[in-house]
Amino acid sequence: MAGKTIVVTSGKGGVGKTTTVANLGTTLAKKKYNVVLLDTDIGLRNLDVVMGLENRIVYNIVDVIEGKCRKEQAMIRDRKLSNLCMIPAAQTREKNSITEEQMKELCSSLAAEFDYVIIDCPAGIEQGFKNAIAGADTALVVTTPEVSAIRDADRVIGLLEAALVRQISLIINRLNAKMVKKGDMMSTNDIIALLSVPLLGVVPESEEVVVSTNRGVPLVHDRSSKAGAAFRGMAARLNGESIPLDGDSRGFFGRMKRLIWD
Amino acid sequence: MAFMDDRLGQSRDFFQNTEMVLDLRNRPMRSDEISALYTRLYQKSMVRVVEVRLSDHLSFSMAGEPKKSRAAVEADGESNDCVPVIVRNTCRSGVRVVSSSDCVVLGDVNPGAEIIAEGDVIIFGNLRGVAHAGARGDQSARIWALSFEPNQIRIADLVAVPPRGAKPARGRFEIAEIRDGVIQVVSL
Ligand SMILES: Nc1ncnc2c1ncn2[C@@H]1O[C@H](COP(=O)(O)OP(=O)(O)O)[C@@H](O)[C@H]1O
Ligand SMILES: [Mg+2]
Repeated sequence: MAGKTIVVTSGKGGVGKTTTVANLGTTLAKKKYNVVLLDTDIGLRNLDVVMGLENRIVYNIVDVIEGKCRKEQAMIRDRKLSNLCMIPAAQTREKNSITEEQMKELCSSLAAEFDYVIIDCPAGIEQGFKNAIAGADTALVVTTPEVSAIRDADRVIGLLEAALVRQISLIINRLNAKMVKKGDMMSTNDIIALLSVPLLGVVPESEEVVVSTNRGVPLVHDRSSKAGAAFRGMAARLNGESIPLDGDSRGFFGRMKRLIWD
Repeated sequence: MAFMDDRLGQSRDFFQNTEMVLDLRNRPMRSDEISALYTRLYQKSMVRVVEVRLSDHLSFSMAGEPKKSRAAVEADGESNDCVPVIVRNTCRSGVRVVSSSDCVVLGDVNPGAEIIAEGDVIIFGNLRGVAHAGARGDQSARIWALSFEPNQIRIADLVAVPPRGAKPARGRFEIAEIRDGVIQVVSL
């Protein structure tokens, strides 16, 4: 059976797509699934940095698509998990060096070999975005609780729906519980009411994320991290396990039950 | 158009009195083009366009016969482009719907979306984006919505933004209309 192809997208840049790809991929690999991460952010490659694999890159996604190497040659194995690997983006090429058709082909050939293909999408809604979503059957839309990020997420959800991506769910990143309490930040409920897609999970604002990015070790390796726990919960839900959405217990999750990923 | 006229002439009987779904997924058209096509099909061969499909997830229903539409009743001989546009989706950011008559939305209108109608705008959901009723200057046009938290509303040539901190009255229809020369929002 073919694996799942999941694109992580947002519209706005810097909201946590790459962080999400690294952490969900690592968690699923820890659960013994075969996982490949695909960086399609051509020209702004950074998934390799977050994974701590930067100095091992020889070939990249454009080389694979142009037939300069076999896809196995471009796959870089994770330092800790042998069933996790990634194909890096090209840093010195243009976004239009690949087409949607080529992406579709690549994704389906990867899905035939792996349980999960997780695609890191560039910001924006131009060709790079269209390529990234072309081969995906599931989309995770990442937003922060800021009005501008939510507006972009809404736009992206509309485009995903139009592109017939069947499963779309939402990840809210960098939620600051204190600010929500004071009324200075939109709550999870407000965001879901606006975007009306099911919620996969909420990641709190946390310095641990920055530290792990800089060290090149995904946060989920750290058992004590709260943000890491949020990513582990999301990966489990993505995998069809029914893990309740907890994180912070302010009672608004009861009403959201019907919206949770199933 | 001319090509179509020709073909319709030849196959008049075949198409006689049928209904049709106009599939524009691969060829976008402006709403006035759609209206013209609609009218032409109806007059030539009694073909009724019942639905216009813009993408797999966005389709408009064309309701009512052009003959019975409002303009035809009010001013005989006027163009028959008064078919209300019905949107069966949430209108997300970046979506713009233009209607040469009324527009009905079965879903929310999110920030960054625009609904522009020459007649009324009726929203069975929350209005959080922009709605413009009476876009050709009809001052009696109204905007109806289950909840008003718009970026901006316009009726004819008047523009209004909601007062800061205004809370919508949940669970009942609200209507925006021009009273005494200003846009006012009232609950039903
Ligand atoms: N939950 C979080 N708390 C604090 N910082 C975060 C969080 N998520 C992401 N960041 C930081 O935000 C920045 C952008 O994240 P990244 O995943 O690269 O976004 P994108 O791929 O969407 O551009 C990074 O520096 C990252 O460390
Ligand atoms: Mg990134």
